[in-house]
Amino acid sequence: MNLFLYLDRQSPVHRLDPRTKLCLLLASFLSAVLFVTPAPLVSLLAVLLAYGAVGRALGNLRRIWFLLLSIAAVSVVSWSIFAGGATPLFWRVTAESLAYGIGAALKIDAMIISGLVFLSTTRTEEMVLGLIRMRVPFQMAFAFSLAIRMVPTIIGTAVTVTEAQRSRGLDTESGGPLTRLRTYVPLLVPIFLHTLRNTDQLAKALESRGFGARHERTSLLTIGFHGRDAVALVAGLVVLGLFVATRILSGP
Amino acid sequence: MIRLEHVSFRYRSATDPVLRDVSCHIRRGELVGLLGRSGAGRSTLASTLNGTIPHLVRGDLAGRVLIDGEEIGARRPRDLADRIGFVFQDFEAQLFSTNVPLEVAFGPENLGVERAEIARRVDACLGVVRLSHLRHKAPAALSGGQKQRLALASVLALEPKILVLDEPTSDLDPAGRRELLEAIRSIRRTRDLTLVMIDPETDEMGWADRLIVLDQGRVALDGTPAALWDRADEMDALGVKGFTLARLARRLGMAERWVDADAAAGAIRRAGWVGAPNAGARLRAADAAQAGGEVLLEVDGLAHRYPDGTEALSDIRCVVRRGEFVAILGQNGSGKTTLVKHLNGILAPSAGDIRLQGRSLRGQSATALSRRVGLVFQNPDHQIFAERIWDEVAFGPRLQGLPDTEVAARVEEALEAVGLTGMGDVDPFILTKGTRQRIAVASTLATKPEVIILDEPTTGLDHAELQGMMALIRRLNEAGHTILIITHAMDVAAAYARRVILMQGGRILRDGPTREVFADEAGIGQTGLTPPPIVQVGNRLGVPALTLDELVSSLSPAAQPPRRPAAAPHP
Repeated sequence: MNLFLYLDRQSPVHRLDPRTKLCLLLASFLSAVLFVTPAPLVSLLAVLLAYGAVGRALGNLRRIWFLLLSIAAVSVVSWSIFAGGATPLFWRVTAESLAYGIGAALKIDAMIISGLVFLSTTRTEEMVLGLIRMRVPFQMAFAFSLAIRMVPTIIGTAVTVTEAQRSRGLDTESGGPLTRLRTYVPLLVPIFLHTLRNTDQLAKALESRGFGARHERTSLLTIGFHGRDAVALVAGLVVLGLFVATRILSGP
Repeated sequence: MIRLEHVSFRYRSATDPVLRDVSCHIRRGELVGLLGRSGAGRSTLASTLNGTIPHLVRGDLAGRVLIDGEEIGARRPRDLADRIGFVFQDFEAQLFSTNVPLEVAFGPENLGVERAEIARRVDACLGVVRLSHLRHKAPAALSGGQKQRLALASVLALEPKILVLDEPTSDLDPAGRRELLEAIRSIRRTRDLTLVMIDPETDEMGWADRLIVLDQGRVALDGTPAALWDRADEMDALGVKGFTLARLARRLGMAERWVDADAAAGAIRRAGWVGAPNAGARLRAADAAQAGGEVLLEVDGLAHRYPDGTEALSDIRCVVRRGEFVAILGQNGSGKTTLVKHLNGILAPSAGDIRLQGRSLRGQSATALSRRVGLVFQNPDHQIFAERIWDEVAFGPRLQGLPDTEVAARVEEALEAVGLTGMGDVDPFILTKGTRQRIAVASTLATKPEVIILDEPTTGLDHAELQGMMALIRRLNEAGHTILIITHAMDVAAAYARRVILMQGGRILRDGPTREVFADEAGIGQTGLTPPPIVQVGNRLGVPALTLDELVSSLSPAAQPPRRPAAAPHP
C-alpha cells in the first residue's frame, strides 16, 4: 500500500517550479480565509478543482474523500447549531448559521484540496530545493521533508500495533471516553518507541550517506523559473485579485 | 586496510563493556564475515569502523581504529562517507527519497559531486544491483529485496573503498536474500572493495575469505571458512550455527569440505553410502502416527481484496486439525500474513468463510476470538508496552476480566513455559530481541488459546535463541496447542513442522506433509524457495529425510565402495 501522495505523472502543474506552486498554495489559502459565505468559496473550490485536474491530481481525492466529507459534516452540523442567527429555520438552526457552517466546511476542504494538489504534483526533493533557493537552510528544509516522509511510516506502524493489540483481545472500538483513553496506552507506547528507534536508525543512515558533510551541496534535480511559471503566477494573482475585490465590494 | 588496536567499548547506560580489547587486521579486498550470538558485539564493532561510535552512540571507547593507516579518531561518519559505506538491516529506515535515482543521488549530492558525475554514478550503481528497470518507481513501492539492493546502490554511489553490511539479509525473504548476495558478488568482481558483513547464517558465508566469530566482545575464532569448516561444536558453544554439511560429513566419518548439496551427495554416494531399504516407508509411517485430530479451523474459499482492488488472497481452502504443527511458507507478498490475520478475525474476508469448530468467524468479535486463536506478531516491539514483564503478560487475561488469582496463576504458568520464571519485575525494553520474542509468546499463552499462530518467530534471533524458541514452540505443541508458524527458515520448517502450506501470489500452491512437499524440489522451486541443505542431500540420495538425524539413520554403509569391474585380461 502506497501512503505517499505524490503522483509521478507528466502534467503542466508537475512541470512548474516548486516555488511557483508554493505561491499558488499560499494564494489559495489567502483566498479561502477571506470569506465566510458559501458562494465565493464554491467558486474558489471550482478553481482549485480545475487546477487539480490540469495537474492530474484529482485521483488522490479518492484517498481522502472520507476525511473531506467528515470534516464537512462536523463543520456544517456544529456551526448550524451553535453559530446562531436572525432567521430561524428549525430547532436551533438558522439560515445564517447554516450558511456559516457550509462556508466553514468549504473553506477547510478547499485548503485541504489545495494542499493535496501541491503534494500530488511536487516531489519532496523539489520542495526542499525550492525552500533552499528561498534561503531556507538545507538542514531545516530537509527536516521538513523528513517529517512528511515519516507520516506514512508512522501510520503503517500504528496499523500493525493496533492489529497486534487487537489480537491480544484489546477492544479498540467500544467503551466510553475514559475506557477509550486507557485502551490507547497499549497502542501509543509501542508506536512511540518504534518511531523513536526508527528515527535513530534514520540518523545513522543519513550520517553514513554524508548528510551535512559539506556546506555546499549539489543536486541531481534542477529547478528554475520558465515562461509557464510566469503564466501560472499571473493567473494565480488575477484569481486572488478577483477574490480580494469581491471581498471588498461585498462589504464587511 | 582496517586495523583495530585494543578496541574496547562500553555503552553509556551499560555496566559491562560490549567490546573487550579487540585487535584485528582486515586486508584490502578481503570479504570478512562477522559472526557471533546476539550481544557478542558484532554491530558494535562495525559501528566503530566509521565513527558511528563514538559520534552518534555514546559510551567509553578505548583503543585505536585505523583506516588505511590513518586513525579515524575525531572524524564523523559523514566525513568518512566517501571511504567507508554502511548498509543496515532495516532497509525502510535508510531510504528517504521519492524515486529510485534520487535515492542513489542523495549521498553524492551531500558530498558536492558535480551533477553530470552524479548522473553517471546513478546509472552505474543501479546497473550493478540490477534496478535500472525500476528507475521510475518510488522506493516505498519496491519489494524488500529491491529496497535493500537500492540501499546498497545508494551507498556504492559514494564510491567507498570499504563496505560494511550489518545483517543486510535478516529481514529479507529467501528470494530477496539471493538477489542481494548476487549483487554483492558481482560488485566484488568489478570493484576494489573490502567487505565486512555481519550475517547470522554461517551456511551463507562459505564464500567469505575469512570468518571472525566474536564472543563476549572478544575475537573467539578467526579463520577461513575451510579452517572453521569442522569446528561446528566450538561454534555451537559460541552461539553460532556451524556449517550444516560439515556436521553431516563428520557423522558419516568423512573429512571433506562440500560447497553444496550436489557435491555432498556425490561424495557420500562415492563413499559407498546408500539409502537403507524401507527408509522412506519407515519415516512416512512415523509421520502418519502423528496425524492431527478433529477439524478445528476450516478455511472455505477465502478471498481478500484491499480497498484499492488488488487481490491479496484468492480462493484459499484448507483445514487445520487439532494438535497439528503447520508451517506456512512463501515469499513476502505471497499472502501468508494476510491469511493468518483472518484466522483470528483481525481481518474480515472479502469472500468465503472461515469456521472454527464449525462456527463461522463472521460476527464473532476479535476480542472473543483472541481467547481461542492467539496470534504472535513478527516484531515483539509492535506489542510490548508495559514496564514490567508481569504486566505485559497479564494484559490478555485481565482484558478477559479474569479474577486476580486466576490472572496471577496464568502469568506464572506462561512465564514458566517460556523460561522467564522470576523475571516478572524486569523491564522488557532492556532485554534482547530473543527474550522480547519470548515475552510476546508468553502474553499470548496466558490467554490459553487452542491455536497459536506465530508470524516469523525466529527472525532476528541468533542460533541459540532460535533453538530455544523452536524448542518452546514444540513443547507447546506437545502440550496440546495447535501450532501454525509463518517462516522463511526452511530448516526450521523441515525440522519442526509436520505439514507445510506453500503460498504464492495469494494462493495455496501446495498443502501436504512436510516430507512430501520438500521432496518435490521442482514444485517448491516454483516459489523461488529451496529446501534446506540436509533435505537436498537426502533428495539426491533418494531418502526423504528432514533432519540430520533422520538422514544419517536412513543411510546404510552396506554397499562396498563401487569398483570398476576388472577388465578382462587380454589374450
